[in-house]
Amino acid sequence: MKKISVDHLARVEGNGGISATIDGNAVTDVKFTIYEGPRLVERLTVGRTPEEDVSIAPRICAICTLSHKYAAIRAMENALSVKVSPKVYLLRELMHMGEMIESHSLHLYFLALPDYLGFPNVVSMASKYDFEAKIGLEMKNFANHVMKTISARYIHGENPVIGGFGKYPSKEELVWIKSRAIQFMPFVMKTVQLFCEIDYPDCPEDETVFACCNPPENKFGFHGEEILLSTGDTIDKDNYTNLTNEFVVPHSYAKHSLYQGKPFSVGALARVNNLGERLEGESQKMYQKYFSERWKKNPLFNNAAQALEILHCFERIPKLVDEILEHSQNPPIQTYQVKEGKGTGLVEAPRGLLVHHYEISEGRVSHTDIITPTAQNAEDIERYCYIAAQKLLDNGEEDKIRDRMDLVVRAYDPCISCSAHLAEVKKAPQENWKEQLDQIKQKGTPIFVGVGKKDHNDDGSGIELALHLKKRGVEDVWLESEIEEDKFGRQENGSRPLLFLDAVDFRENPGKITILPLHYVLSNASLSHRFLPFLSSGLNYQQLKNSFVLGIQPQSLDEGHKLSPSVRKAMGQVIEQITH
Amino acid sequence: MNKDKVKIGIYELTGCAGDALLILDCENELLDIFKAADIQSFSMAKSDNIDGNLDVVLVEGSVSTEREVEELKDIRKRSQLVVAIGLCATVGGIQARFTNPKEWEKNFKKVYGDVKMEHTPPLQSKPIDDYVKVDYYLPGCPIGKEQFLHLFTRIVKGAPPEKYPRPVCVTCKFKENDCLLNRDILCLGPLTADGCGAACISHNLPCVGCWGPVEGANLTSEYYLLKEKGFDVEYIKKKMANYSGTKIAEFFEKIKEEKK
Repeated sequence: MKKISVDHLARVEGNGGISATIDGNAVTDVKFTIYEGPRLVERLTVGRTPEEDVSIAPRICAICTLSHKYAAIRAMENALSVKVSPKVYLLRELMHMGEMIESHSLHLYFLALPDYLGFPNVVSMASKYDFEAKIGLEMKNFANHVMKTISARYIHGENPVIGGFGKYPSKEELVWIKSRAIQFMPFVMKTVQLFCEIDYPDCPEDETVFACCNPPENKFGFHGEEILLSTGDTIDKDNYTNLTNEFVVPHSYAKHSLYQGKPFSVGALARVNNLGERLEGESQKMYQKYFSERWKKNPLFNNAAQALEILHCFERIPKLVDEILEHSQNPPIQTYQVKEGKGTGLVEAPRGLLVHHYEISEGRVSHTDIITPTAQNAEDIERYCYIAAQKLLDNGEEDKIRDRMDLVVRAYDPCISCSAHLAEVKKAPQENWKEQLDQIKQKGTPIFVGVGKKDHNDDGSGIELALHLKKRGVEDVWLESEIEEDKFGRQENGSRPLLFLDAVDFRENPGKITILPLHYVLSNASLSHRFLPFLSSGLNYQQLKNSFVLGIQPQSLDEGHKLSPSVRKAMGQVIEQITH
Repeated sequence: MNKDKVKIGIYELTGCAGDALLILDCENELLDIFKAADIQSFSMAKSDNIDGNLDVVLVEGSVSTEREVEELKDIRKRSQLVVAIGLCATVGGIQARFTNPKEWEKNFKKVYGDVKMEHTPPLQSKPIDDYVKVDYYLPGCPIGKEQFLHLFTRIVKGAPPEKYPRPVCVTCKFKENDCLLNRDILCLGPLTADGCGAACISHNLPCVGCWGPVEGANLTSEYYLLKEKGFDVEYIKKKMANYSGTKIAEFFEKIKEEKK
C-alpha cells in the first residue's frame, strides 16, 4: 500500500491537497483535502441585519466576492420583497462580468497555462511567452477595473447594496469600459484559440451530471431563478436542496454534495455544456468550431469553456453598457419595511453554481445557508482523480499520477476559501481484510448481500458465499434477487453496515480477498453499474457511507466459469471469519 | 539563487485569500515584484516553492486549526521578520467574532454536527500574534494596493515598514466627503484604520470597519456618541464586533470598567 499525494496544491486559491492510496493494482482511496480551518461564516451572519450580512458573507472568498455579494443581495431582495429598477439589474450584470473575466483570466493564464507550457509560474513563463503573459495580465487588469468602477474596490467592494448602489459610475467611466472591451477583442479571440486548441489528455474521461443556473429569456448568462441539469430536469431556486443536499465528511471542512446519490459538476464546463447553444455572435461560432463530445466527459475542458465564457463577456459588455446608458436617471436605494421572510438567490460564480438562502425574522437574519461551487464539485474532483489514477496505474504510468491529479484539481479551478467549510485527510492504510471485517462488525451487525452472475466479471462467488452463510444460519443474509424497492430505506437509518459479497476483478491472484468502501467502487465505471439497483432501492447516503464490498478475485472473467480451488479456499476463509 | 535579494515567503492560513490575491492584482507591478525580491514561497502564484530560511514572511489568514499552529511556528523559526497582512492575520478576521469558547463550540456544532474530523482538529480562530511574535502589521480586508506596495518597497530595501496610525476619517476629510455621522448614519470611520481611501463613504455608504480598529481610537467616545444618537446598544456592539476580531473583547471590558 502506498500513497501518492500533492500535499500543497500550488496555484489554486486557498490551501488544499489531493492524495491517492494505492494497493497493488487498485487505487483504493482518493481524497481532496482542504487545510483551511472552519470559519463558520453562516453562523456569523445570524443575528445580523440583512445589510450587515451582505457585507460579511462575501468575505468568504476574495476571488468570488462579487458573486457572493450578488447572490446574497438577490436572496435578501427575494426575502424582503425588494424590486430594483432595470438600471440596477444591468449594472449588477456588468460588475459580475468583471469578476467572471478576472477570475477566468487569473485561472487560465496564471494558474493553468504554466502547466501546459511547462513552467512553475506565470513569471518564469513570461520569459518565453511574453505575449501570453501580457494578455493575461492586461485582461485581468481590465476586469479588476470594471469591478472597482462598480463595486468601489478590487476585492470586497461595498458599493452594491440591497436595493441598488451607493453611487453610480459616470457615463465617462462606462464608455471607457465599453471601448476598452472592444479593443480587447483580438486578444480575446487569441485566448479562445489558445485554450481550445490545447491537446488535453484523454484521461480522465467519464460521464457526469452538469448543473448550472438557467438564465432568463433563453439566454446565456450567469444568474437565474432555477437550476438546469444536463439531464434536462430543472429545479426551482427554492428547492435547491433537491440538488445540493450537503453533508459533512470527516476529512474536510468543506461539505460535500450529491445529486440523487451521484456526484455532479458545476462551473464553466457545466454552463457551456448545458447552455452552449444559447451563445451568440463570435462565441457561438467558436462554440460550433471547438465543442465536441469530449467536453461532456473530460473536466480538463473546463479551461476551454472558461475561454469561451471570457469571449461571451467581452461581446456582451459593449451592449450592456449601451443598455445601461439608456437609463439616464440613477435610481435611489430602494428601502423596505419587511421584517420577516425567506429567500434564495442563485448566481453562477466563476467556478459554478452559488446559492445563498436566508430567513429573516424581526429584521435580523435567523438562518443562513450558503452552498458554494467547490463544495459541490468536491465529490466529482475526487471521482475524476480516482479514474485518472486507476487508468494510469493500469497503463503502468504510475509516475504520472501525481501530476495528472494536480492537473484535474486545478482544471476545476477550486476555490478553497469559498468552500466555506473545508480541510484534510490521512487515513491509515488497511491491508488486512480480517481486521477490516472486524472493524465493520464493531459498527454493528452487518447485513450481507450476495451479488453477481450479471456480467462477465463474475464467477458467481458472491451468490455462493451468501447461500453458504444462510445455510450456516447467519442472520440477515440477502440475495441480490431479493432486493426490492425501499428495502434498504426500511432498515434502521444506516446504523447497521451493509457488506456486499461479490467477485471483483482487481487484477490480483485468484482468491485474493479485498474489502473496499462501496463509495470507491462506485467511482469505478466497470463495477459501479452492478450496484446501481441497490442505490435506487432507497439506500441513503448514511447507509452508502456505511457500505462495503468484500470482493474475491476470480480465476477467470468468463461468464459461468466454475469456481476455482483458490476461490473456494478464499470463500472458506470468509465464512470462517464471519461465523466464528 | 539570488544572493543579494531579500528572500520573501508569502503564506496563507485560514481566510479568503484576498491578501494574496491583492498582490496578484498588482498587474502592472507584478513582474517587477518578482524581480525585486527572491520570492521563495507563494503557493497561490507558483508551484516551485521552497520552505527554507527567509528574510521576511508575509502571513495572511487566521489560525484556525492545530496544523496551522505548527505551520506558523515553523514559519516564525525560519524567518527574520514576520509581517501579518490582512484583517484575519492582524485581528483574527470576521471568523474570530465568537470570542467566547462556549459560543464558538455551539456554533461549530451547528455547522458540522457531531462529525469527528479525522484530519487536523479545529481551533477557535485567532490572530497570528496569539501564537508567535509579529514584527509588523498591515491591516485591511483585504489589504490595499497602495499600502502593500509601500510596505513591499521598504522591505526589499531593508527599511522598516511605515505605520499608519490614522483613522478612515483622515482620508475622508481630504476627499471632502460629507460626514455621515452628522446625518445620523452609523459610520465606523473614526474607529477604523485607514487604507481603503474612504471607499465606502466616498460611495455614500457608511464605513463597516473592515480595516479593523485603529491604534489609539477612542472607542468609548464613539460608543457613547452613537448611543446619544439613539442607536440601540446591542446593535452598536454587534456592528463594532463584525470586523474587530478578538480585539473587541478588550474594548468591551474597558467600557464595563468605565461604567463602574
